[in-house]
Amino acid sequence: MKTFYTSVIELRQEFDDAIETHPYECGWADEALFFVEVHDAEPGETVSLRVQLSPDGIRWLDEGTEIRTGSSAFARVTRFGGFLRLAGNAIAADGGPARVTVSVRLALKG
Amino acid sequence: MHVSGFFDPLPRVLVADDFDRGMSGWLDLRPNFVAPGFREHSDDIDLIHWGPTMLSSATFAFGGTHGSAQGTYSLKISSRAAAAAADLPPAPGSMGLAIKRLAVPPGLRRLRIEALFAYKAEQDRPGLGVDDVRAFGMFVDLQDAEHRYMPGVRYVNAIAGEPVRAWQFYSPTADTDDEWSYGADGWHKAGIDPQWFGRRKADGSTSATTWFDGGGQHLIYNESDDKLNWTPLSLTLDLRTRRYEEFRVGGRTLRFPDGAHPTLAPAYNDIEGLLNPVFFVEADTDRRVSLFLDSVVISADAGEAA
Repeated sequence: MKTFYTSVIELRQEFDDAIETHPYECGWADEALFFVEVHDAEPGETVSLRVQLSPDGIRWLDEGTEIRTGSSAFARVTRFGGFLRLAGNAIAADGGPARVTVSVRLALKG
Repeated sequence: MHVSGFFDPLPRVLVADDFDRGMSGWLDLRPNFVAPGFREHSDDIDLIHWGPTMLSSATFAFGGTHGSAQGTYSLKISSRAAAAAADLPPAPGSMGLAIKRLAVPPGLRRLRIEALFAYKAEQDRPGLGVDDVRAFGMFVDLQDAEHRYMPGVRYVNAIAGEPVRAWQFYSPTADTDDEWSYGADGWHKAGIDPQWFGRRKADGSTSATTWFDGGGQHLIYNESDDKLNWTPLSLTLDLRTRRYEEFRVGGRTLRFPDGAHPTLAPAYNDIEGLLNPVFFVEADTDRRVSLFLDSVVISADAGEAA
């Protein structure tokens, strides 16, 4: 039977413009699913997030998958090596920076 | 799992968690989300932003994969890059905590918690990060018919960037319930959750800690932020008397004063018989720190419980 674990990596975490989720080690997993939830967003407010990989949890590279949402969204990732995070920004309706509250859950299986 | 010679369990092994087989029931310690809107039950301090727990291969930029004491994976408990001064309540995210939730089976006399551990600052900058780790430790959340109590030990590694390198144990507090939870509404009983409650002092002590006599110990951090030495730890408790019995760490045995015990708080509702071991790590600066565990063995021997 496979191992499964969901980590609530960010719970109702406030971010001021720039968003970086906690570096998460998951080399044991074959597949990952990021669930992103934006809490109480103002109309037109969104988060734009890139899935990132890392050889060491310190230096990060874009994986290619992106999420843009003002409510809830998910992204599937495979073949990601040992570390995962999301990085990006919170964007107000006028295109400027925003302050948002976000929850991020990472569902891992392998 | 094969219990290696690092472990010296009591005859009845309750669980032996080798993290090559998954998280084994260990997860982030979070509050009770029972308030309207699934909010936490009390907001005296921020308990929802501690760092997440994960299975780690202990992989680093220059050394590659360190692996665990037995196999590849260990349990990694991580803080976020945050800290408050030592005499203040813990800053949001300044700790990481992992818990496993069990219940006491009938007829136990003694309980022993053993682990192999290592602790590290994130290797995100040149130099040696040992003094960015404030503390780490473990305790067990226990409740019998009369009392809830949390015996445990804490290694104060550094305060404000200065080495301390000494062990303390949780002992009875004289705080009122309000003082215990930093003047908040007193939902928490004094002595419960000593890892984040209880008035704190600048030397790293709290209103519910006692320094071990002769408890100074230079553990192996090693000479780089990417080198781990798996070090044994063993805490034995007498469940009949609610007293400490023995604490071993590395090559040493630290002596408790006669009759030493933690705060014996009133029993809470609906948790009689719980047996919840918790491990934690605390940052001293705005740098992520981690406690690695591989493995954890919880054992017991029989006798008339209290």
